[in-house]
Amino acid sequence: MARLLLIEDDAATAEEVLGDLRGRGHAVVWASTGPDGARAARAESWNAIILDRMLPGLDGLTLLRDLRGSGDRTPALVLSALGDVDERIRGLRAGGDDYLGKPFVLGELAARIEALLRRPTDTRETVLRVGSLEIDLIAGTGRRGARDLDLLPRELKLLEYLMRRPGQVVTRAMMFEEVWNYRFTPKSNLIDVHLGRLRRKLEVGGEPILIQNVRGEGFTLTPDA
Amino acid sequence: MPSFARSIAFRWALGIALWSTLLSLLLFAFVYWQTAAFMQEELAQVLRHEARYVAQDPTKAAVRIETWVSEDLHSVHFAGLFGADGRRLAGNLEARPADLPLDGEVHRIATQVAIAGRRLHEELWSAARSLDDGTVVVVAHDTDEIDRAKATVIRALGLALVPTLAFSILGGVLLAGRARRRLAATEAAVARVMRGDLRQRLPVGQAGDEFDRLARDVNGMLDEIERLVEEVRGVGDAVAHDLRTPLTRLRLRLERGRQQAQDIGELRQAVDQGLAWIDQTLEMVTAVLRIGEIEHGRRCAAFGPVDLRLVVSEAVEFFEPLAEEKGVALALDIDDVVPSVAGDRSLIFEAVSNLLDNAVKFTPAHGRVGVGVLRRNGEAVIVVEDTGPGIPTAERDQVFRRFYRMERARQTQGNGLGLGLVAAIAKLHGFSLTLSERPGGGCRFAVACPASRGPAAGPERAAALGH
Repeated sequence: MARLLLIEDDAATAEEVLGDLRGRGHAVVWASTGPDGARAARAESWNAIILDRMLPGLDGLTLLRDLRGSGDRTPALVLSALGDVDERIRGLRAGGDDYLGKPFVLGELAARIEALLRRPTDTRETVLRVGSLEIDLIAGTGRRGARDLDLLPRELKLLEYLMRRPGQVVTRAMMFEEVWNYRFTPKSNLIDVHLGRLRRKLEVGGEPILIQNVRGEGFTLTPDA
Repeated sequence: MPSFARSIAFRWALGIALWSTLLSLLLFAFVYWQTAAFMQEELAQVLRHEARYVAQDPTKAAVRIETWVSEDLHSVHFAGLFGADGRRLAGNLEARPADLPLDGEVHRIATQVAIAGRRLHEELWSAARSLDDGTVVVVAHDTDEIDRAKATVIRALGLALVPTLAFSILGGVLLAGRARRRLAATEAAVARVMRGDLRQRLPVGQAGDEFDRLARDVNGMLDEIERLVEEVRGVGDAVAHDLRTPLTRLRLRLERGRQQAQDIGELRQAVDQGLAWIDQTLEMVTAVLRIGEIEHGRRCAAFGPVDLRLVVSEAVEFFEPLAEEKGVALALDIDDVVPSVAGDRSLIFEAVSNLLDNAVKFTPAHGRVGVGVLRRNGEAVIVVEDTGPGIPTAERDQVFRRFYRMERARQTQGNGLGLGLVAAIAKLHGFSLTLSERPGGGCRFAVACPASRGPAAGPERAAALGH
């Protein structure tokens, strides 16, 4: 359970976000204006802050810049109706850790919050193990139990991304941004096709399922055994 | 009439008429001045010569003067030989003109003369010389002849001036009227356009003059405006239509789910279906906004040097599993050296993805999608071709428009915005996008990307960096 601060001026949006995040077991406090949000952010310690780009009284990016200026490193996710990339870059420059354009799906927000809360601890590790899965990033090889996996470079990257977040839901957009490193929402079910191909290599015969589709949200890698 | 007088054509015509009249006047003045000077000089020569001739020999002076006077039939020759005391010795001049210098040059003077016994006051051109014996000889000629000639010239010129002026004004008025009629037709057409009838075009003559060229340019502009307005209208209609369809479906599904769902599972099913349709709708709205955003060029912060070989290879790799699943061969052909371009790699990836998505979607199983990154005339060219059904020539221009979906594509998934997005991205980058027929059938999209000033991306450069 994490303590989250939501700074959002639209009551209807806030209600849905609060309901969803509370349903997922988080303790969320809502502030509806910039100054209120700034006060709340400084008054207590939070695991993460979700803030809207445009807020009455105090602009979201200014709030974030002030917070960062005073040494506060609380992970922050910027929400915005302004979807363009320049806006995104501005959001990240102001100190945002992630950026999500409106309209968004609640699952996407939850997954991104989760990612902020559970940032991979040691990214320098080059041999990763999750359950019976093991990959060696330097050698570019992978194994499931005793079976060698024949992985293409991109599949290895995708698997690495999932293995660094075991049990965590990752969305298609997150994978596309982090594994392919491009920023837009690709059409059709291309990510699913890539994951399908990866799964066919990981889950041969009657082997337990590793990668699961979380309906309406994304995918998750569940450790076996 | 006041509006006619205010018209630029009329003012020009009047101005030109006045100007040509002024020029004529100047020409007349010059002709007159030259003619008068010539006649005067001719006479002066004769007088100077006669005075010298008479003065040459004092003994024959009287005789010569009488000859000069007598050889004249029109009583225009005058002369006189005067003694040192001023007494007249010969000739028809009454007295020696007091103010005439004895320099042999020609001067205009007024004096008394005797013609056929009558004494007259005359204006004369005269030359005088003194002889060795102190006598003075005066040779003169009537001024009337030259004065009359001058007057004749002036009268002739004056008479000619009136018709010249009249004709140039008439010509000006005719020309102005013609230009005015032409303008009136144009004005009427423009007025109709301003009232909202964008199908109106300006009349274009056969002459191909500046006016015709201007009219043609304005017509070209109107074509473009009409096209844009049509497009905007089309987009509005298409958005409304494409929104209404899923919204209607959504409404029906939710209504039915609410009434008929027997348990929570069935209700969820209805809601899930509704969510899928909403996502589809939102995707379309987002795409429309994105095209607008890209078209207005508000995305330049992410511009930098882009290696097309890398971006296109990654896009092809991204589509590889999908193509494989569909049984479509995806082939990539990359030239060794391709100029680097300036752009937003994410947008270029998106554009190539849309072309690939399209190509894979419309290519039947066992077909082939070929992708190339080529170097042509110093430019980088991205080519995406397929062995699908192709696009009829008549529809080729329209596929880049928003919401354009060929009739047969209506059944497939998509919102008709993909190629519109590609066109917008190409335009933002200054790339030129063309669609042609692939030899042997199918479509061939080519994106020509002018090289940025940076060094070309290629093996040499990689090698140079490696050492």
